[in-house]
Amino acid sequence: MIRNLLPLLLLCSINCFSQKYISNDGEITFFSYAPIEDIKAVNKKVSAVYNSADDNIVFQLNINDFNFRKKLMQTHFNENYLESDLYPQSTFIGKVIVLEGDKAKVKGMLTIHGVTKEIEADGTLLKNNESVKILSEFKVKLEDYNISIPTIVMYKIAEEILINIEIALNYSQ
Amino acid sequence: MKFNLFFIICMLYSNIGFSQDELLSLIDDKSSEYSKYVFKGTKVVNSASVEMPDAGVLQFMIQHRFGTLNSGFYNFYGLDNSQVRMSFDYGLNDRLSVGIGRSSSLKAIDSNVKYRLIRQSKGVQTFPLTICVSSSIVFKQYLTSNSENNNFLFSNQFSYSHQILLARKFNRQISFQLSPTLIHYNLLPIDQLVHDLYSLGYGARYKISNRISLNIETFSQFNSENNVNPLSFGIDIQTGGHVFQFHLSNSAFMIDRAFIHETYDLWSEGSIYFGFNISRVFTLKD
Repeated sequence: MIRNLLPLLLLCSINCFSQKYISNDGEITFFSYAPIEDIKAVNKKVSAVYNSADDNIVFQLNINDFNFRKKLMQTHFNENYLESDLYPQSTFIGKVIVLEGDKAKVKGMLTIHGVTKEIEADGTLLKNNESVKILSEFKVKLEDYNISIPTIVMYKIAEEILINIEIALNYSQ
Repeated sequence: MKFNLFFIICMLYSNIGFSQDELLSLIDDKSSEYSKYVFKGTKVVNSASVEMPDAGVLQFMIQHRFGTLNSGFYNFYGLDNSQVRMSFDYGLNDRLSVGIGRSSSLKAIDSNVKYRLIRQSKGVQTFPLTICVSSSIVFKQYLTSNSENNNFLFSNQFSYSHQILLARKFNRQISFQLSPTLIHYNLLPIDQLVHDLYSLGYGARYKISNRISLNIETFSQFNSENNVNPLSFGIDIQTGGHVFQFHLSNSAFMIDRAFIHETYDLWSEGSIYFGFNISRVFTLKD
């Protein structure tokens, strides 16, 4: 009897396996609004995986992939502030804790600059069978992640950075 | 039979529950990580480093060299004498940069081009070195009276320098560079016997903090007569928009052919030149 059931069970397991949505080209943009200068950088190579079965969600990006308009800023960002040679990646590992219609709340551990902190963020999660679109905006404090700003550039870099996420994930086998 | 059923149900169950770490492992990182920022500046001390201005970025550099430290109080230990090289370097794309400069005391205009062949990387593509080729042409102006000489050729004023720059960033502090160099003189300096002079440059940097690095550079010459090998020490300080570089060297010159093959001063005698560079970058194109 088991032998007869086996294909069915396998089929079932495949079904369960296929509730993941994956993206490798998500966009995360950050903004720093300071008295002297507004800074913006965008990363278009963000990876994300969302499992609609258990609402787990992860993001990962390479710090090196952030693009600035001024390349010198990009150098300073990598060399002096985020130290991307020591901490090449940033990750978020979390769970969608509230999902009412499109409105979602996500909670999890965000790692930047080697420091992991629990965060909560509100956003939008648009789901259909083929894809999931995730939009969110939240703030992080530089000091929470041990990113120190010398007093000489205090007026150029904001203490709180606005982070904008826009990712379209595709249904994956 | 019972065991089989149990096993299959376990398999099934494990497929339903995806842990967060497993999700993370689904992200396959196909990218290669390049070793960037091998040196702070486009020069180790005097000679070219594997760094170049980013695409669309113009770098303006003012280089100063003072007189020797052993020239006495009357000359304020060399600070009374100074010579300048001003230069512009521009990054045409991620691999190619061009530059032009003028040295005051040598009366020389130089133009250079630097091309990065490959970058040190790890990940999908792994390569141990960053390799650049760098070439420059120097036009050393002669006086009008020289040109009235029958033997004088316009091309006498040119000399050429070709380098292969091989650099490795060992860790975030230590980088090392080897620079095999060929210098060609159209007109021989008075104490040289051949037109083509070969040398090997060694450069290294040690980063003492995120913004400050110590550099050292020397060249060993293979077929040059009479002159000594240059030995230079530098400290690079990065501030908001500038890089300041302070140097001590037994050469006063700032173009390849001159500091490699036209250096006669000795560290042991205190004939040491103090110098500094200031560079500022302008983003011209996004």
